[in-house]
Amino acid sequence: MGKTTCAAARAVADAAAGSRVLVVSTDPAHSLGDALGVKLGAKPARVGRGGRLHAAELDAPRAFSRWIDDHRAALGDALEHGTWLDRADVEALLDLSLPGIDELAGILEIARLARVERQDRDDRKERRAAPYDVIVVDTAPTGHTLRLLAAPRTVAAVADVLDTLQAEHRIIRQQLARVGRPEAADRLIALVAEQARGTGELFRDPERTTFCWVTLAERLSLAESEDGIAALDANGMRAAEIVLNRVLPQGDRCPVCDRRRAEERRVIVQIARRLGRGRRMRIIPADLREPRGVAVLAKIGKKLSTTEDTEEKKVLNLRVPRVLRGGDGVLVMSSPKNERTVAAESLPGVRGAKLIFVGGKGGVGKTTVSAAAAVRLARAHPNRRVLLLSTDPAHSIADAFDTTPSAGGSNVYSRGTSPADIGDTPKPIRGGPRNLFVRELDAARALAARRADLEEAVEEIASAFGAGEVATGSGGAAELMDLAPPGVDELFGVLEVFRLTTPRGGGRLRASGASASLAEARSVKRAEVGAPRDSQYDVVIVDTAPTGHALRLLELPETAREWVQVLLRMLLKYKTLVRPGKLAAELVDVSKSIRELQALLRDPSHTRFLVVTRAAEVPRFETERLLTRLRRLKLAAPAVIVNAMTLAPRRCTRCRATAAAERRSLAALRRSCLGRSHGCVIIQTPLSAPPPRGVRALNAWGGSWLTGSPS
Amino acid sequence: MFILDTLLIGSLRFVLDKVVAAAEAEMNDDTSLREQLLEAQMRLELGEISEEEFAETERDLLARIREIKGQQQAPISMSPKDKISGVDIESFDSEQ
Repeated sequence: MGKTTCAAARAVADAAAGSRVLVVSTDPAHSLGDALGVKLGAKPARVGRGGRLHAAELDAPRAFSRWIDDHRAALGDALEHGTWLDRADVEALLDLSLPGIDELAGILEIARLARVERQDRDDRKERRAAPYDVIVVDTAPTGHTLRLLAAPRTVAAVADVLDTLQAEHRIIRQQLARVGRPEAADRLIALVAEQARGTGELFRDPERTTFCWVTLAERLSLAESEDGIAALDANGMRAAEIVLNRVLPQGDRCPVCDRRRAEERRVIVQIARRLGRGRRMRIIPADLREPRGVAVLAKIGKKLSTTEDTEEKKVLNLRVPRVLRGGDGVLVMSSPKNERTVAAESLPGVRGAKLIFVGGKGGVGKTTVSAAAAVRLARAHPNRRVLLLSTDPAHSIADAFDTTPSAGGSNVYSRGTSPADIGDTPKPIRGGPRNLFVRELDAARALAARRADLEEAVEEIASAFGAGEVATGSGGAAELMDLAPPGVDELFGVLEVFRLTTPRGGGRLRASGASASLAEARSVKRAEVGAPRDSQYDVVIVDTAPTGHALRLLELPETAREWVQVLLRMLLKYKTLVRPGKLAAELVDVSKSIRELQALLRDPSHTRFLVVTRAAEVPRFETERLLTRLRRLKLAAPAVIVNAMTLAPRRCTRCRATAAAERRSLAALRRSCLGRSHGCVIIQTPLSAPPPRGVRALNAWGGSWLTGSPS
Repeated sequence: MFILDTLLIGSLRFVLDKVVAAAEAEMNDDTSLREQLLEAQMRLELGEISEEEFAETERDLLARIREIKGQQQAPISMSPKDKISGVDIESFDSEQ
């Protein structure tokens, strides 16, 4: 989308205007350093000349464990007071990592920076405590940013749980020892609650916080923007600006560029109509050169911080260029004539696999690629059942299949009336192969649906360690379940992948008890209207969240296993006190299931990861890091798909320059893939104008990918 | 002094519960053996014992469980609920 570019550009511009600026990235897959052209770490480093611009990339796991370490004694006290665990157990618990770590660490970090800022306001002498006037946060992609913004409430709920643990101890101290002075644990609980409240307030205060919504002028981004901005509104936060990034400027007449311009203009007009009221719209034209480095970013920064009103008027007065030959429905692909094409279904990453993850940087076209692969695969094998499952909390599968012409009235984009509105139950696509089903995982709903079981499980665990009162009642634990806390998408993503890909998956890894299975059986029954039972899918294609959170999802089994092991160890330790019973048996089951899942994920004949990228430098760096991480996770990544290449430029100067730049970047990617002996094939997909949407277009586009060596 | 009372009665009840549990466990050896089997499974998952060690313990424990069943109701007849297959104790999974 260009969030990082815009964040960096804004920071550069503010620094140039005289402010002391810190730009910090909270996306687990950082590219801030790549955009600024410097190597960054978790500690703010000075960037460029002038000394006013600092930048940092948050290292969430480390930041979180540092926070834990800072408060280890007090946290340990609260846990020790509220349970019959001893110090060693408590330490083991504190060392565990959490799903949703990025959001939690992000919120703690923002709270820390904001606190420093406020101190400065109170005490002007202490200037060194507040080194920055402006903090620009480069966030994670949509779905997880919404989780980040909900994180203050999660943190508040955690403070409440800690308070419950501490309560009994506090009463004893007051009543028996006649001590009313708060101790370290009480102070920490107060601090956490205050940080949560303060950060929540900070986010909702338009004087202190500005949200800048960055999007591409593409159909697939439109619904996502609409949902995202609505979610911000619902949380009392306001996106004051909308930035449309990489919009094609005027240029030579060209069948490809003109169609893209036409599509972009329509989307821009729709965004202005539907979201533009009371918001500043900014348009950043697509540069032929990738915007990297402080000097180039400064130019974009100027556009991002201008207060002139001309931009918006320009947007609304845009004329949709008339498209040459053919109507709107015609798909023009930038494919060379006599190059050998390969169909999506026969790619090395697709053929024979039972579980395919499609992942990559935000905005590279993961959804389009996975949708095309799913359509092709289902068509090529009519006897196999194919499920396309989206685990990105900001779903866009529905839009990939939605063929409603974008030129229609203003109601065309409303979510509820979309003909391809997809939900949490597998559905066939209208006009698609009958053996193809699609589903958008709704983790918050899944959490709510299984709430009773989870509560039971939490109660079992809590009372096994003498903290029964935490789980009962309507305190923090209940609140946590209401909130859909950070990490919930990864958790339920993994649970669903496991359930869908192992024949016995439905029986295990559930929270607990027969009620879960009953509820599940009922929901499966409901889903069965036209859809097969989950275990009957032969191939599952997972359209993942962008890089950072896709990796978190894949790392989750390991995290879960560590949790289970710590719990098992504690149950064994106290076996004379509490005999290992149902909980222990279930934990053994879960542990086995996790091992099974890990074995499946690491079996290259079963599971493959398709990396989607673009032929540009910043995406290339991220792709190289992703491949390294996948190899560390022992996942097979047999193919990298370089999406939307200008493969057959005509006389248009823009197309020619783009093609040349893409060729250079592709060559570099090829070298680094070979150099790292990843043994993966590089596939190119042709740029399509407009982007392929709907079964027919996806099928045609998915049949014209290229494996060819560079010409 | 309701606090003291709560704490006292709570602890007393806890201890009594434990005594009852221990007495029950001794009366019914089968339960204790099942628990030992579960414990072995836990240790296997934790990597504290190897697959071989587990297999040996399991064989041993299963043999002893069978023995007890034999004493209780000769000849050996297991109800479907008590069926033991591999390392899973089916009675924990009521719905399967």
